[in-house]
This record gives sequence, structure tokens and C-alpha cells, in this order.
Amino acid sequence: MDKGRKELLQGTLDLLILRTLSGASLHGWDIAKRIAVVSKDRLSLKQGSLYPALHRLEGRGWIEAEWGVSDAGRAAKFYRLTKRGRKELNAEKEQWLSFASAVASVLKMKEIE
Amino acid sequence: MAFVRLRSGQRAENEGDRVIPRDRWRWLRATCSRIFRRKKHEAALDAELQFHLQQLIAEYRAEGLSERDAQLFAQREFGAVAAYREEIRDSWRPPELADLWRTFRFAAGSLARTPGFTLLAIVALGFGVGGNTVMFSGFNSIVLKPLPYPNAAQLDSIDRATPQNPKGRVSPADFLDLQRESQTYGQIAAYMPSDATLSEPGHMAEVASGLRISPNFFATLAVQPRLGRDFRPDENLPGKDRLVILSERYWQKRFGGDPDVVGRIIRIDGEPHQIIGVLAASFNDWRHLGWVNLFRPIAFDHQQTRDRHSTILRLIGRRADNVSRSAAENFIANFGARLAKDFPEINAGTAWHAVPLAESIQGKSARSMLGMLIALSGFVLLIACSNLANLLLARTISRAREFAVRSALGASRMQLLRPVVTELLLLAVAGGLFALVVARWGADWLSVRSTGENGERLVLAFDWRVFGWAAGAALVTAIVFGLAPALFALRLNVNDTLKSGARGMTGGSGHRRFRQLLIVGQFALAMILLAGAAICIRGVDELNHRRAGWDSERLVTGTIILPARYSHPAKITAFHRLIIQRLESVPGIASASVSSFTPFFNWSDTRKYFIQGRDIPRPGHEPTAVVNTVSLRYFETVGTRLLAGRLFDDADMAGSPKTFIVSQSMASALFPNENPIGHHLAQAGGTDLQWGEIVGVVADVQSVLPDPGPVTFQLYQPMAQEPRTYNELAVRTGEAPAAMIDTIRNVMMELDPDLPVRQLQTADATIDRANYQLAVLRDMLSAFAVLGLGLASLGIYGVIARIMAQRTNEFAIRMALGACIRDITRIVLISGVKLALLGSVLGLIGAIAVGRILVARNPAMQLNSLPVLVATTLLLIVIALVACWLPARRASQLSPAEALRAE
Repeated sequence: MDKGRKELLQGTLDLLILRTLSGASLHGWDIAKRIAVVSKDRLSLKQGSLYPALHRLEGRGWIEAEWGVSDAGRAAKFYRLTKRGRKELNAEKEQWLSFASAVASVLKMKEIE
Repeated sequence: MAFVRLRSGQRAENEGDRVIPRDRWRWLRATCSRIFRRKKHEAALDAELQFHLQQLIAEYRAEGLSERDAQLFAQREFGAVAAYREEIRDSWRPPELADLWRTFRFAAGSLARTPGFTLLAIVALGFGVGGNTVMFSGFNSIVLKPLPYPNAAQLDSIDRATPQNPKGRVSPADFLDLQRESQTYGQIAAYMPSDATLSEPGHMAEVASGLRISPNFFATLAVQPRLGRDFRPDENLPGKDRLVILSERYWQKRFGGDPDVVGRIIRIDGEPHQIIGVLAASFNDWRHLGWVNLFRPIAFDHQQTRDRHSTILRLIGRRADNVSRSAAENFIANFGARLAKDFPEINAGTAWHAVPLAESIQGKSARSMLGMLIALSGFVLLIACSNLANLLLARTISRAREFAVRSALGASRMQLLRPVVTELLLLAVAGGLFALVVARWGADWLSVRSTGENGERLVLAFDWRVFGWAAGAALVTAIVFGLAPALFALRLNVNDTLKSGARGMTGGSGHRRFRQLLIVGQFALAMILLAGAAICIRGVDELNHRRAGWDSERLVTGTIILPARYSHPAKITAFHRLIIQRLESVPGIASASVSSFTPFFNWSDTRKYFIQGRDIPRPGHEPTAVVNTVSLRYFETVGTRLLAGRLFDDADMAGSPKTFIVSQSMASALFPNENPIGHHLAQAGGTDLQWGEIVGVVADVQSVLPDPGPVTFQLYQPMAQEPRTYNELAVRTGEAPAAMIDTIRNVMMELDPDLPVRQLQTADATIDRANYQLAVLRDMLSAFAVLGLGLASLGIYGVIARIMAQRTNEFAIRMALGACIRDITRIVLISGVKLALLGSVLGLIGAIAVGRILVARNPAMQLNSLPVLVATTLLLIVIALVACWLPARRASQLSPAEALRAE
């Protein structure tokens, strides 16, 4: 693994995928790329976790898939957020942000003498 | 970061109860298609992953790598696809299903690795549950299924119990009286058996089973004809009664289901009758009147309506809605009591009962018989199950180390038991399916075997109750008998098991006792089955070969019913003489006769007698005898020996003084210290006593039927003095009786082409056929016994073989210390035979109970069970010896040095 890249924290993968899909419908390759680009290559998604996650989310009904044609003209499976997925995303996002800021505040606290 | 993720409950809270139907629907469809259209999804997954790989390659290529390197790098980065492919597949199934799927696949795999065990378990379960299911479906269609009449619970059988017959019949005058008073009860109808001769141009004349019924009979049963109409109230008058209603079965068989059959005129007993209706198929139900093909009205002439002597009618009643059972019983009992008071000479000692029709048909003994059969088939199941338990115990013990290790690593009881339970479930399902096949097959066999003379047959319905029974039995037995040994293994101490070494479990003393218990139980059950079957086989065999008081060799019998044009007594007598004369003139026929009964079946004509010169007994205490009305040459033909006096001869004519011949037991009981010849008897109950002289004493004859009735006195009277239209024809042939049958039929055809001879065959064939129901019972018991015995011997063989294997060490040491092979063999044999003996002795108690039930049902069967029980016990022990000896023989191949080294 490259030095700059971080291993994904367990459980955040779903959140990242949902967030990435919230703007557009994408295929697996693009999802991985986009996360890498937006995180400035600090987050990397391996196929071995990406595809099981996609199928799991699809199974839960948070995203749905449709076969389409990629930019390069090949058949690809495009994923898109469902209404339930969007609600899930909002809820998880709230949770995550509040959790992260809480952790941040604890880490940044000044020693109380 | 699992702790950040919300649990699904909280998530639902966030979501609220708002359901998004369209979303849900699409998701459901996608999920279903993921589960059920697996292949398509595999292909889609391939395409998806392939796309990703191509993108990767393209990227590497864009970075300037060669085509080969790009592919290589891409492949490497892509990783082992197969590894996460299964993870993806799991996400296609709902999580619980994925889990279950894995568990079942694991269990199926583990069963498939031990095919011998699996097959044995399925077969044992299948036969055990299957046999039991057949019996249950019998019980279901006989006891549980309601009679095919609307509101059948309101129907009663009305019986006039006499000291001789608890289900006695009723005279026409009694019936008409009862019917007049029946407003406080409901409806009452009468019927009497009256077989009929059917002769139509173009068809051979044949006899059809028939009933004469009161016109309200079908209305009482609440049955409507499917074609045509019912009888009208005034059609019970002489002259208006030339009408007939057909059963559905006979309509199909004889008239090809012709829809225009109503209105046709057919000749019955030589008279034209009009077909006015056809009954529904449901009326063919064999349990009640299903054997009847023709229904005609009973017509009473003026004299008959006042007749209180001829008890010929059976009654059936339907209680009105507002009449309770006890009120109905009281009403009928009171009516009977009044009759007994008003006409004591006929009715003394009689009592009238109203018994619910369903109960009356089944009878207590039929219920106990069915109960016994279900119990016996249950024993087969138990033996099968204890075998299963034994097999599973061995299997579980060989897993004991695995159990111990896993439980040491912290697996819970549930986790340990889960694979075991799953295996059992699979076995139960497979065994249950096999059982249904066995049951279906068994039911078909039973149905064919039990088909009666008129084609009425026992239809064993396969309804939800039967399926439920089979499924329940398979599930319960598999789980209970499978889980018991597993729980047993769980109780083992982890430490001890792990310490006991690589040889696995030798089975502690607890195990050994459990197994011995199973073997003892198996042999006890096998003993009951075997003894029950043996008693039944012997009893049926004895009945079928009983030829007491007559001679069956070269005897041909048949039934003729003279049509109405032989109504005049003189005409009947002349015809009888003609029959005997013509038949006896045929070369190869030694003698011929007609009689009202055959010597080998029950005589249903029961009469009471006074003895001249003695006090008239109190009403109800007169000597009672069954009466056979016989033609000349009867005794010579059937071979009943004359012991004293003379036989009937030409002098015993219609006008001449009455004469009787009595059986030996009647003679010695009524005239213990005097010569019966010359004494006079008269039939009791008539208005004027007609005395007749006893002219001869003959040997007793015995019925071959299992229930001969309570009357043992037999009395013969000359046919010429009381000519009958219902005749049993008997012909003693010279050689080859079977070859003479056609000759006899031809002679009879020449005498009267409208007169069919029913069941013209050798007496032996008739007797064989008569006890076919007992034979079915015998075959069923034998099947249970063979199955049970086979399973039990398999069980003891397995256990002894295992004990042998476990004690190899001990035997090796013994042999090293100087014991010889014979000693070892003896140890093994004795340990097995002890178990078998103990089981057999316990089983004897049950076997005696089975014998009791059989005797209660079939009082005339010779069920002398002591020698049978002794023989059965010996047989069981011999089988146990053989089953133990086979593994014990292995001891002789034991090489002490090798066996000890193996340790």
C-alpha cells in the first residue's frame, strides 16, 4: 500500500459509496476512481471490498443498478442511489460528522490543570 | 468502525414508518431474481468484474506499460476473484438465508460422506413411518372420515337385541308400529337384504346384490339419486313395487354409465322392473351398504303387515333436530319394553337399542383392531428409530473429540448441536418422502387386497391428515431419537474425552447401558410383532383348513336364487328334484343337493324349539338352534356323517309328518341320558305348535368364519317340507372338480337359462376367499414382523460388532494370556444373547396382549398361543445368535501381537 493512502476504517465504506453515488449514477470503476481523486489518493478502494459492498447495498435496497454504456463504449453496470439509500446516507452522514467532531474535540482538548 | 454504525432498530426509527411502495417492490423483485435466477446473476457479475479489469488494463496501458505487463499488473491488483465472489453471492441472499444455506450444505455434505449410514437411516425411517402411515390412513378412512350422508351424526342403527344376537332384526308389524309412533323421534326406515337375478336379452343372467327398502329409506339417509327420482311413499304396495334404483358402481359396470338408463325396463327375478334412479358415487362407500347394487321397495301385503314372527328387517333412524341422543335411546328402549310386555312369546328377553350409525358400523372390535394395527406398525417404527438412535450414537461418539475441542474453544451448546439438528432435519425430510412412497404403495396393495365380492373397496384417502401424520412422525422420531444420543455426548466431560486418547471413545458404561437398553427394547418389540403375526398366521391357516363334520375334497358349491315364478312350494320342490336328478345323471358327478346353507359358513336361520313331554320353558329360555333346510342327498354330498337313526328320504314330503335331524351336540345336550331318536320338537312362537320327530343324529359341522355366532345347536329339516328359493348348490364330483364346473353350469343353463349360478367354484376356493380380510390382516402382521425382525437383527449385529471392535484390546490381552478363540467367542455370544433373551421375555407380555385382542375379535380362531410363543422366542434367540456370531467370528482372526501393536 502506498505511503499516503490510508486503510479505510471499517464501516465507512458504505457511507463513502453512498455519498459518491448521491450526485450521479456510476459504475464500480468510477466509484473507486472518484473516491481516490476526491480524497487526494488518501483513500483507496480495493475491488475485493468494493464489489461485495456494492452488492450488499443493492441487496439492502439502498442502491439499484442498471446496465448502460461506459464512456469508452463498453457495457457497464451503473449504480444509483434509491430513496431509501438517500435517507440512509443522510442519517449516516449526520452520525459520522457528529462522531468525528466529537473525537476531534477530545483529541484537541486543552489539558485542564 | 462497527460501533459507529447504527443498529437496524435505530435506523428504522430514523426512517419512520413511511414505506415507499415502489422502491420496496423493485427491491423485492430484484432480490427474488437474485435468489432464483442464479445463472443470469453469475454471468452479470462476471461481466461487471471483467469490465473493471479491462479498465485497469487500460489505465496501466495509458501509463505506458506494454500490453503484456499491463495485463499482468492488472491481474495482480485485481487479486483472487474467487475469494470475494462467495462474499458477493452471500449478499444476494438475505443474511439468514445465506447462513441457513451454508448450514444445510454442510450437513448434506457430511451425510453424503457416509452414504451407508444415510441410506440405512432413510430406509429405516421410510419403512417405519411408511407402514405407520398406511395404518393411519386406514384409521383415517374408517374411523375419522364421516359417513357419506348429510348430518350423519343424527343417524341411528335401531337394533332389537336378543339373547342370541345383539344386533337382531325386527318384524314388519313391529316396524310399522314404530314408524307410526316415530313423530317424537324423527324418521325411521327399514331395509332387508334381497339379492336379485338380473336377466336381460343379450346379457348372461347374473345375480346382483340387492336390498329391499322402505320408500323413505333414502330420505332418511338424506341421499338423493344423481339421476332420476327416489321412491314415492305409496310404492310399498304390492303391484306398485316393480321399480329399481341402481348403485353408481353397478350403473357403470352393467349399463356403461348410460345417462338414459332411467325409464328402462329390466328383468329382475323374471319380472319386468323399471329403473327410476341411479345413486351418487358416494353411496358406494364400503363402510355402509356399499356392497349393494340394486334397491327395490319392500311391499308388505295385508298378512305381512300383521306379522310379528318373521324378524327380517333392519332399521335405521334419523333423529329430528330437537331430539337428543338420550331421548332417542329412551324412546326406542321404551318401545322395545312395551313389545316385550305385549308379546312376550316372541319378545321375551329382547331389548331395543338406538346406536349411532357410525359406532354401530365400526363396532368396538374394529376400533380395537385398528388401534392394535397402528400400535404394531408403531412398534416397527420404534425398532427403526432405536436403530437410528444407535447409528447416531455411534456417529456422535466418533465426533465426541470434535465436540470436546469445540466446546473447549467456547462453542455454545446450540452451536454444537446445530449441525446435528440440521442433519436430522435432512434425514427426516428424505425419510418422510420415502415413507410417503411406501405408504402409497402399501395403501394401493391394501385397497386391491380388500376389494370385496361386489367390487366395493376400501379407498385409503391421502388427505392432509395423512400427510401431516407422515411428516409429524418422521420429524418427531428423527429429532427425538437423533437428539437423545447427541445430548448424551454433550454431557461428557471435556477433559476426560480429550484425555482418552486418539482411539476415540470406547463408550463409557453409560453409553453401553443406553445401547443395551435399545437392543432389549428392539427385541421386546420384535417379539410382540413376531408372536402377533405367528398367532394370526396359525389362526387363519387353521380356519381355512378347518373341515369339521364335512368333507371338502372334490366338492363344488354355488348359489342359486329361484325367481318369482317358482313362488309355489310344489314348483320349487319339483325344480329341486329336477336339479338333483339331472346333475347326478352326468358322468363324473357322484351326488348333488341343495340346501339353505353351506356346511362351512354360518347359518343365520335361528329358531327356538319346545320339546314334547317337557315343561314349556319361560319365554326367552327355549333351546335355540341354527337351522339348515336341506334337500335329499345333502348329507351324502357334503359328507356329513350320520351317527344314529336315518337320513331324510322320499317319505319326508310336503304333506307328511314333519321330521328333523339334529347335530350331535344338540342331541347330547337336550337328551343327555336317552335316545334322541323318536323325540318330538316344535318351533316355538307360532300360533299352533307343529310337532316333528327327530329321525337322525349327525356330526357337528363347524363354520370356517372367525365369528360363528353364539348358537351351537344345529338342526336340519327337509327342504320339501319348507321349500326355499335361496339355495346353496352342492355337487360332489368324481375326479378333477375344477373341470366339472363348466359342465355343472351348462346343466343349470339347460334347466333354466334365466337362472345364474353365483360363485360356482370348489368349496376350498370359496373358503379361501371368504376369509380374505383375515388374510389381509395376516399379511400385514407378517410384513410388520419381517420388517421388525430384520431391523432388530441389524441392530443387534451392529451393536455386537461395535462392542467387538471396542474390546479388541481386551481380547488380544486375554488371548496373549492363554485364552482360546472359543472363550472369546463365548464371551461375545453370551453378551448378545443375554440381551435378546431379556428382550424376548419382556416382549412375551405384549405378545400375550396381542393374542387376547385377536381372540376377542375372532372367537372361533384357534389361537392356541403357547407353542407359538415358545417357537417365536426360540426363533428370536437363534437369530440373535447368528447376528452375534458373525462379528464374534472375527475374534478368531485376531492376532494378539498385531492388535496390541496397533494400540
